Amino acid sequence: MIEAARETAVTGSDTPAISCQNVWQVFGENADSALEKALSQYETADEVAAALRAQGLVPAVQDANFDVKEGELFVIMGLSGSGKSTLIRCISQLLPASHGEIRIEGEDIVSASKARLIELRRKTLGMVFQHFGLFPHMTVAENVAYPLKVQGVKKKARLAKAKEVIDLVDLSGREDRFPRELSGGQRQRVGIARSLVADCSVWFLDEPFSALDPLIRRQLQDEFLDIQEKLKTTIVFITHDINEALKLADRIAIMRDGKIVQIGTPADIVLNPVDDYVREFSKDVAKGRHAHVASVMKDPQNHPFGADDPGLRRDMTLDAALARCMDLYEPVPVRDADGSLVGVINPADLAAALQVETDT
Amino acid sequence: MSRVSFASLSAGSLAAAIALIVGALCLLLEGLMPWLSIFPKEWVLPATETVGTGVKSGLTFLKPAARIFSALMAYPMAATNYVLSAVPWPLLIAATVALGWRLGGIKMAAMAAIGLGLVLVSGYWPQGMNTLALVAVSVPLALVVGAGIGILANEFPAFRAPVQALLDVMQTVPTFAYLTPLLVLFGFGPVVGLIASAIYAAPPMARNVLLGLQRVEHEVKEAAIMAGGTRIQQLFQVEIPAAKVQIMVGVNQCLMAALSMVIIAAVIGGFNDIGWEVLLTMRKAQFGPAMLAGAVIVIFAILIDRMSATLAQERRQLWDGRVSLGILLLGLIISLVFWSRIGDPGSYQLMDPLADGLDSWLTDFTRANAEALTSFKNGVMFYVLLPLRIGLDQAILPFTWGFQWTPVMSLWFYGAAALVGAACALRGQVTLGLVVLIAAGILETGVSQLSWPFVLAGAAALSWVAGGPRLALLSLVLLTTILVSGLWERALLSLYLSGAAVFACAVLGGAIGLLSAVSPLAWRIVRPICDMLQTIPLFVFLIPVLMVFQIGEFSAFLAIIAYAVVPMIRYTRQGLISTPDDMIEAATASGATGWQMMRDVRAPYAAPTILLGLNQTILYAFAMLVIAALIGTTGLGQSIYLALGKADVGLGISAGAAMAILALIADRIVQGFAQERKKALGL
Repeated sequence: MIEAARETAVTGSDTPAISCQNVWQVFGENADSALEKALSQYETADEVAAALRAQGLVPAVQDANFDVKEGELFVIMGLSGSGKSTLIRCISQLLPASHGEIRIEGEDIVSASKARLIELRRKTLGMVFQHFGLFPHMTVAENVAYPLKVQGVKKKARLAKAKEVIDLVDLSGREDRFPRELSGGQRQRVGIARSLVADCSVWFLDEPFSALDPLIRRQLQDEFLDIQEKLKTTIVFITHDINEALKLADRIAIMRDGKIVQIGTPADIVLNPVDDYVREFSKDVAKGRHAHVASVMKDPQNHPFGADDPGLRRDMTLDAALARCMDLYEPVPVRDADGSLVGVINPADLAAALQVETDT
Repeated sequence: MSRVSFASLSAGSLAAAIALIVGALCLLLEGLMPWLSIFPKEWVLPATETVGTGVKSGLTFLKPAARIFSALMAYPMAATNYVLSAVPWPLLIAATVALGWRLGGIKMAAMAAIGLGLVLVSGYWPQGMNTLALVAVSVPLALVVGAGIGILANEFPAFRAPVQALLDVMQTVPTFAYLTPLLVLFGFGPVVGLIASAIYAAPPMARNVLLGLQRVEHEVKEAAIMAGGTRIQQLFQVEIPAAKVQIMVGVNQCLMAALSMVIIAAVIGGFNDIGWEVLLTMRKAQFGPAMLAGAVIVIFAILIDRMSATLAQERRQLWDGRVSLGILLLGLIISLVFWSRIGDPGSYQLMDPLADGLDSWLTDFTRANAEALTSFKNGVMFYVLLPLRIGLDQAILPFTWGFQWTPVMSLWFYGAAALVGAACALRGQVTLGLVVLIAAGILETGVSQLSWPFVLAGAAALSWVAGGPRLALLSLVLLTTILVSGLWERALLSLYLSGAAVFACAVLGGAIGLLSAVSPLAWRIVRPICDMLQTIPLFVFLIPVLMVFQIGEFSAFLAIIAYAVVPMIRYTRQGLISTPDDMIEAATASGATGWQMMRDVRAPYAAPTILLGLNQTILYAFAMLVIAALIGTTGLGQSIYLALGKADVGLGISAGAAMAILALIADRIVQGFAQERKKALGL
């Protein structure tokens, strides 16, 4: 049902909420001029990156291109040092990108003035940090209300609004605590509340749950999905955890050494990894739980099927589907929620889809 | 093993060899070329005079502005002075006790009550208040200027390196050296002390503000940006409050520096404050009263330090404000009820009998133990300090050692050193062998009579080993400026006295630090003494040594040791006890005894920390050296002090700079070694 809600949100508008074109971020001395020179000299991004590395520079983000649709939950995944944190800082303009075009809701923010950036951050952008980034000298309520304070909202009004989001993240009753008096999970709830208080429409989360222990992490992931269902903001979410990515994402971008190597839905990533690096990631993932029947079924027009109908639905996971046709060998029909025929699947293909990684 | 070729020598051996060769050549050729041992006067540039006229013309230019500023500062000073002296003492004590309660509960309140009570009965209340008035005006000035510099350096990274360098230099320039140009600029009077103390107290504030702002967590700063704060909002609403603990450390250091400087500034005199009182009584050899006045300073220092230190506690709690209010009210009521009978607090000289008693007891004591004290003093002078200063060949006389040192003895001495050196080299310790030879040469010649090519070569070689060619070049250039400015002999004298004191501190402090690391009981005794010694303003150290050993180099030597030994103790202990647990466990599992553990695991691990302690000790020794000029030392400290008396800006600044150069080079060399050790340990 969450899926369905997202579908409609995603198709709501034509302009992408976030658009990145040829974004580069290079670190080192005189990095920007070296990058421009290399870009004019070489054809492919790989050649440019190699040339920069040869000069002792660090191309932390190389030629990133992607759009994030309005209301989409876009996850950027990669190991530490792969450039994902740098990329999100480019998009949020915490770091000025070395090169490229970044648009948020159609507006070019690379060339935006300082005042406009402050305006954008006040009204449009919200961010959650890995180590929470809470202000140690402020109480929970003051922390959460701070984005309103800088806008000049009156104390009473901003505390009332802060109370609302504090309730939303389930921290009621702890308004007057200081960050040091909270557990890690509670601190990140404060961080989430603070990033939501100004009703942002684009939400950046930089490994928000990585510093938490596994049980708390799962709990917060679920609550995060609930919040997202209520608010339907556009989200860029950074993680190094493939399971987290698969659980949350509409689409996933996988980064390696500064390069985006694959962008796709969770099922794409699991079933059709573009290279060994991505395959290595999805190796330990229970594929049957993340891929759906729709991703392996074939067109019913050209493929005949047998007499058995185990009742497969297009949005079933592979695991569930396989459980229904364990003893069948003939292709079987796949139907949608209304019962109309949408595809055909051979049980052998189902089993094969789960085995991808063992083939290599 | 004995086949040591030139190329296979380690950097250390090579440096020692170069220094040794230069030194030996100088010794041999001394007779032929006397300019080798004593830098000829004709070669000296008139640097002191040039600096004097240059700075003076600059100062003349600034003078009108300075005098206006000085006149302006007189108002807040007069106002604070008036407030502090007009407010009846019961109210003032009550206010301090109330503040003490608020900050630190019953302990701090009791401390304030007892401390100020003692000040009151000592009869030095008015002088004390005058001193506090100076501190009260100079500290806000220093805080604003320091915080401003710190914030600017944080905002504009281009400023950072020059600001850091400036702060480093300001820390090494001796306190008295500030005073001479200020004297010329602002004229005599308390305002000079005020300005000097503000200048002296601003750097620690600036340093801590910058450090605090840089240490604010990266994500906290980013969160403030993403909340949409303007730069001003980010800075004042998030970064500065988040850096509060570090900034409060700065406030604490700023207060202590200001107090210390205000008291030192009394040297220029003419103002009825507590520093002046100490100086006056010391000059009149009234040690009882000097002790009493010194105690008042110590009380102020402790109260200011402990109270402001609570501000820098990570999680501080404020105590019940109603109690504070009650105390304040009580003070007010007492003041009102006894208004007419309070009288002049300066007349409560209840401690005078005690002071007089102390004075006469002391006189009796020194008289009764004259023999023992003199033989102790002469022992150290004749057998340690004098040979170090002028060398064995001149220090050993029938009068001192009971026989005359002859050239034949010199030959025997060198021969013995050569044998020890060769033995070391044969066992593979080439560097140690060379160092033994160099030490023998220095001991025979005396530090103050070392030939200048040897000192330059030695310092450059040592710098090279510690910090590479750049440091070597820096040492060479800086030392050469001292050489050609004609301050060389005085610089060597300073080097000798501070060197002897640092060596004594290293041995003594190292031993006490080791003991404190091994025995918690020892540390419980040593720690409060260390705390105390670090809180006391420099000036006060002079009183007890002067009382017992009179004016002279020996008293200065003791005062320097008493002040400079503390960091050595602290860092040695800290280094030795902070060995990681897994290393201790590994050593225990290997079957190491307690002593083996200390020698093989703890000591090597502690080496970088102990070196940093040594570095602090050196800087402390230089700082005290200048103050000790008050009780009779020769060398640069004396020059600075004399320049102050004559308002000779050129000499004051040049000698101050020379002192700073020595401190700077010593600092860089020791830091270099500490860095190298750290790197070797992978820290």
